[in-house]
Amino acid sequence: MGKFIAGKFVQYAIVIFLMLTLNFLLPRLMPGNPLVFLAGEDVGFMSSSEKEAILDEHGLNDPILVQYGTYIKNIATGNFGFSYQQKRPISDLLMERLPWTLLLTGLGLVISTVIGVMFGAISAWKRGTKTDANLLTVFMFLSAMPSFWVGMILVSIFSAQLGLFPVFGAESAWSNLTGIDRFIDIMKHLALPLTTLVLISVTSTFMIMRYSMLSVLGEDYIMMAKAKGVKEKVIKYKHAMRNALLPVATVFMLSLGFMLGGATVIETVFAYPGVGRLMFESVLSRDYPLIQATFLIITFSVVLANLFADLIYPILDPKVGKNNG
Amino acid sequence: MDKQKLKNYWSVLSSNNLGMLGVGILLMFLLIALLAPLIAPYDPSVRVGGPFIKPNGDFLLGTNDVGQDIFSELIYGTRVSLLIGIVAALISIVIGCLVGVIAGYYGGKIDSMLMRFVDLILVIPFLPLMILLAAFIGPSFWNIILVISLISWASPARVIRSQVLSLKTKGYVEAAKSIGTNIRVILTKHILPGVIPIALSQFVLAASHSILIEASLSFLGLGDPFTKSWGTILYYAQARGAFLTDAWVWWILPPGLLITTLVIGFAFTGYSLEEILNPRLRKER
Repeated sequence: MGKFIAGKFVQYAIVIFLMLTLNFLLPRLMPGNPLVFLAGEDVGFMSSSEKEAILDEHGLNDPILVQYGTYIKNIATGNFGFSYQQKRPISDLLMERLPWTLLLTGLGLVISTVIGVMFGAISAWKRGTKTDANLLTVFMFLSAMPSFWVGMILVSIFSAQLGLFPVFGAESAWSNLTGIDRFIDIMKHLALPLTTLVLISVTSTFMIMRYSMLSVLGEDYIMMAKAKGVKEKVIKYKHAMRNALLPVATVFMLSLGFMLGGATVIETVFAYPGVGRLMFESVLSRDYPLIQATFLIITFSVVLANLFADLIYPILDPKVGKNNG
Repeated sequence: MDKQKLKNYWSVLSSNNLGMLGVGILLMFLLIALLAPLIAPYDPSVRVGGPFIKPNGDFLLGTNDVGQDIFSELIYGTRVSLLIGIVAALISIVIGCLVGVIAGYYGGKIDSMLMRFVDLILVIPFLPLMILLAAFIGPSFWNIILVISLISWASPARVIRSQVLSLKTKGYVEAAKSIGTNIRVILTKHILPGVIPIALSQFVLAASHSILIEASLSFLGLGDPFTKSWGTILYYAQARGAFLTDAWVWWILPPGLLITTLVIGFAFTGYSLEEILNPRLRKER
């Protein structure tokens, strides 16, 4: 058990280390002026003393290993550098945007899991029937649609044509709403991006739940329960679903990585002020330090979520704990 | 693969409706891509009318913001999306096969090290990583392919490795080993033929993912500005606010429908290939 977690911990530490190293090397290895990659495209308009200051700050005149040490130290202390395009420290920008992304992906994760589990169970229970085939087809189509396109279509229909939801942003600007009114305003802005995120990510949960439920339904104890004359409802919910949920729990956190990626594109469509949208803005303005910082913060979140999943899994499944130690 | 086996595959594939539908869709897109100059009424890179013209007899789906024919853009876009999807998938499968076969065949330390590495790659959120790489190396046709295949080889490598592991224990491989057959002969004569069918279904699935990823990258403005894919068309439609006007019906709806259909075509083909290769799956459904 402890060994299992320790192994995972080492693995994630290596991921973080590799990504930090990649981030450190990218601006220094790419052909062209490294200043552009470290300070953004505006560097051409800077005076030579400003350039000198940036070179000093990043220690570009130091030996490479010293630079690397400084870089790691900066990230560890939450210093992601300065966005010369937005004229603000990057950590401030990240802190401002992160809550919105967490709200969007957190709710998206919960809702898509609930829907996926429900329909996955139904599909498995009715396997081989028309219901099963129809559900499979619908969910396969959902996973084949480009996320941003689903978002654009939803905006076109529900915002532009029907006027039911706001077109962009996370809340109305300059409205000074408070309390319940502000909450409603935020929810209205969240509705379409959230729907999009759920639509494109629900299929993986559905597929896993269906598969897991199918294999549980083939177990002896289900047959036994049926033979004993246990009510169908009890078998379905108490015996089958509870056991089939285990694999779903593992992917619950793992799909966070996929969701954060999807959120990058969806936030862009809805101009939703999260980390993903920040990444898109920094790509547009070629603000390289900001691109790197947004990538790092997304990677950190995913690794943390993975670690969390590994920690709670043995609690959910006692067998894992015993097998490993 | 011998002819009899091929014939068997074909008979199962053709009895599988989804698979036939998938293959049909793929053939249709292949035809559109090959015959693009004949089908498209205009050169998509040339201004042929005023900007933002609504669909009419001359322009089936109207024109875009600079007066190019949207229908022709879509027809030629098939070439770009299909080509990027196939080439990226091909590269990732070649890398995946290489890693999977080496890890599975040699086992031991090499295996555990390679699989550790695969696990590492699978943890990283792939779309943000691709955005990062694409932003640094710059948007171009080949860079997009490079970025997609650099990351997409990991999960096929896992699948192929497990196939090699099961092939390794087959009697004929052990027999060949015990009489001291050259490793190269064992790999090419005994292992590879067993890997190719799995690699094929993995390739088809990887192509469907690559097409979606390419669309996303192009939509974020990281596509090749000179070869317009369906994703690039949607990028311009978004940038010009087409989703706020009636233009969404002819400018936004069609490219997305094409992407979805092509992805579904690959997915149906891939899943039914998997079913053919895995008889246990066939019975379960």
